[in-house]
Amino acid sequence: MLKKNPNINITNLSYSINGKSLLNKISLDISGNGITVILGANGAGKTIFLKLLSGLINSDNGEIKTNSKDFSFRNSAMVFQEPIILRRSVLSNILFVIEKIQPHQKIMASELMDTLGLSGKDNQNAQTLSAGEKQRLSLARALITQPKILLLDEPTANIEPTSTIFIEKVLKRKSSSGTKIFFVTHDINQAKRLANDIIYLESGQVKEYSKGSIFFKKPTTLSAQKYISGIISDG
Amino acid sequence: MGQITNSFLEAFKLIFSFDPELIEILYLSFEITIIAVLISSFIGIPLGTVLACTRFYFRKAIISIFFALMGLPPVVVGLFVYLIFSRSGTLGWMGLLYSPTVMIIAQIILITPIICCLTFQTIESVHLKYREFFQSFHIGRLKAVNAYIIDSRFELITVILAGFGRSISEVGAIIIVGGNIDHLTRVMTTAIALETSKGNLSLAMGLGIILLLVAVFVNVAMIFIKNKFLNPSNQDL
Repeated sequence: MLKKNPNINITNLSYSINGKSLLNKISLDISGNGITVILGANGAGKTIFLKLLSGLINSDNGEIKTNSKDFSFRNSAMVFQEPIILRRSVLSNILFVIEKIQPHQKIMASELMDTLGLSGKDNQNAQTLSAGEKQRLSLARALITQPKILLLDEPTANIEPTSTIFIEKVLKRKSSSGTKIFFVTHDINQAKRLANDIIYLESGQVKEYSKGSIFFKKPTTLSAQKYISGIISDG
Repeated sequence: MGQITNSFLEAFKLIFSFDPELIEILYLSFEITIIAVLISSFIGIPLGTVLACTRFYFRKAIISIFFALMGLPPVVVGLFVYLIFSRSGTLGWMGLLYSPTVMIIAQIILITPIICCLTFQTIESVHLKYREFFQSFHIGRLKAVNAYIIDSRFELITVILAGFGRSISEVGAIIIVGGNIDHLTRVMTTAIALETSKGNLSLAMGLGIILLLVAVFVNVAMIFIKNKFLNPSNQDL
């Protein structure tokens, strides 16, 4: 039986740089389970929203609340669009994010490498991996921390289909085991494959928040309709 | 042309016969340079790392000052150190003028800004690259700085080699504070200057060839490190 996580309540979340508003009074009540896909044209505020969720940047106003100490953004991990790989072995990269490495975590690292198609590459210089392998390594590194919330910023934007499939499979599995996932993408088909719910952003505002199935069948706003049909591809 | 050829031949004779005077000069040159580079690295690398990883008031001003200090004229540094350590100077009571110690001090003043600034540039680029990743995983500052240094280790070796190259070829400051005293403060560069002025071109040329070889070795080492370890397609860590 899947443990039901508490909802994530976002109230009046705003963020601006040099007086230019990038996110404007976002209020949402998001399910603590499943995969939430964030869609929107370039410059809509998707990455800023994700960074606010992860605590990488602080909002000007508003707050993000989860009604549980156990389920908070302190227990989150982020995967960036451009994988950041340390100049060391694949295994060392995965274990780097752990404060005190326990024997079972080494086993877990090995399992994650198997799951993500990196087995046998433990001692390989991580810099020599392909783009897709690097992104899979980033995901393995995020998952070893056993995050309650996983944030991914266009992780499959620049990688080959094999790696995309690996990553999507793992994300679905993690989601069904109780990890809340926020996933930014431009790929509508990928959003369809993954999303339990969709946040559609435009010019720093939430234009639509709905179940994935509803969003793709009957988007309520004109801009969402245009975005899905490919008329809006960037800002 | 004949004089140059003769000087070369004499120089090689001196090198391969392990001329005691030449060996003594070489030993002192390397001793002073290595000690100065080690001390400068101990000061410059942590300082450059702190400047790269922290934010505080006047940080930019301090960075600008250090960059300006990279271009310090050696003779001015020599004069400054001379004034401090001369008998009537602030530290004249220490009696260090015309000693290898004061030559090391002058070298440290010259090299530390170079090592500090090059370290700053190296570490800052890694810091900017890793910062968000470290923040998102709540990596502590100490662990982060440790990672910056470990991941820039080959660049930092080239920084130290750059400092070594600058130090071993330095003449302006050390000739003022060291006095170029035979068997005491005579190093390769000051000996070359003296022997050339005396017309003893073979010893000057011998020292010049060794200095040139050292400079070539340092540059080759830097290129080797760059190609071997800083090339992302290389398997070595």
